[in-house]
Amino acid sequence: MPLLRKRPSRADFEREALPHLPALYAAATRMTRNEKDAEDLVQDAMLRAYRFFDTFEAGTNCKAWLFRILTNVFCNRYREREREHEIMSEAESSDVNIEQFVGGGIEGRDAEGALLGKMVSADIEKALAQVPQDFRMAVILADLEDFSYKEIAEIMNCPAGTVMSRLYRGRKILQGLLHDYAVEQGIIPGQPADAAADHEAAKTVDMAAFRRKREGKTAT
Amino acid sequence: MNCLEAKPFVQAYVDGELTGADREAFQRHLVTCDGCSKTCRWQARFKAAVRAHLPRPPVPQELRNRLKVSLGGEPIAPRRWPWLTHPRLVPAAVAAVLLLGITGTVRRSQSMVLQQSQRSYHTEMPMDIVGSDCGSIASWFRGRVDFPLHAPSLGGQATCQGGRLVNVGERPAAYLVYQVANNHRVAFLVFAPRDESIEAPHRRVVNGREIYLDGGPGTSTAAYWDRGLGYVATSDLDEDSLTRLVTAAFVTNAAAAP
Repeated sequence: MPLLRKRPSRADFEREALPHLPALYAAATRMTRNEKDAEDLVQDAMLRAYRFFDTFEAGTNCKAWLFRILTNVFCNRYREREREHEIMSEAESSDVNIEQFVGGGIEGRDAEGALLGKMVSADIEKALAQVPQDFRMAVILADLEDFSYKEIAEIMNCPAGTVMSRLYRGRKILQGLLHDYAVEQGIIPGQPADAAADHEAAKTVDMAAFRRKREGKTAT
Repeated sequence: MNCLEAKPFVQAYVDGELTGADREAFQRHLVTCDGCSKTCRWQARFKAAVRAHLPRPPVPQELRNRLKVSLGGEPIAPRRWPWLTHPRLVPAAVAAVLLLGITGTVRRSQSMVLQQSQRSYHTEMPMDIVGSDCGSIASWFRGRVDFPLHAPSLGGQATCQGGRLVNVGERPAAYLVYQVANNHRVAFLVFAPRDESIEAPHRRVVNGREIYLDGGPGTSTAAYWDRGLGYVATSDLDEDSLTRLVTAAFVTNAAAAP
């Protein structure tokens, strides 16, 4: 550390870091899926950031730096149960599976007209909460916080290629879940679950199976 | 490039991460392929809709209070900042925390539409309607957006290039692209506001009308209200030229209004 570098002050921290509090809190609520945990997570992350603020290089991307700390604290303290990991890595290792249950499923069904127009915030929030953790984080960082692949790779400490595949799968799972909700609510026509011969329906059935499997595993 | 080769690029393209030769090849493919164009549009609209539906929840006051207290007891490095305990500086710092927190929140929540406009500008998604006649582009949006759309009239200095249906909040909105002198590009996001705000760090008042100005990487953005609609213009023009352009737009529009 150069000796001549000006040491950061609390005012510097307040000026640089505090404006990102709403973004950090929003991401934290969606990472932890729980407001109380989100508050604790943000407080821990902010204190940690403050303590290590002299390692932050002025002029660089403070928001990404703070999100990296937030993500680290989250992974250390709030890592979800092993079971979810099993399922996630199952999903991650099995491209064919994911493609089957979500691949292109809603694009072909007048989705622009029906699904996009009638999506409800509560459903999207619920669906996002069901997306496995690492995929969910990629979606939160890219779609809600506008980080670039490179920034997300740094924040999540993984290669950019992994960011792309997590994001891809996260979005596909989200779309699959929303499609299922829309069918359940009669917003868009669905196929009965036993019409497995129908190619499109098979995708929906697989998505439901994925969800059942996941709920079954995490409930025990 | 065929559809099979194009498929892996869709996501990066939608995210504005595709560059160089790949991007050029992909765009050439999009021009000839309805299916891939549709997929890109759908993915972009899905992304925008998710974002629009998941706003940031307000930061609980209790969290702000907790932070305020705990930052007070946590020096950046021990013994390095004895002034932090100075009795007169503590209330000042607390006030600064509150003020910064509040202005931070307001700024973040206010610039969503501006951010969206800047993002769309950089992403350069394929157009839903292409053409140089602003009138027919505007009429394409009839029935697709739930407000009467008039393409901003930028005079002889600009030609229309196309338009795309986007979402602002939960409502459909129009995104119009113009070409202006010297190969500059101006894109207008036109939307019917619900509770969106267009306020930005800089504000100018021209002919009695407020224009909010903001800068992104290599772009400027100017936003204003006109007869109940929100207009957000993003361009690679500098702030002054863009301000002149949008001023001309709303002056002309006002003159043309019945």
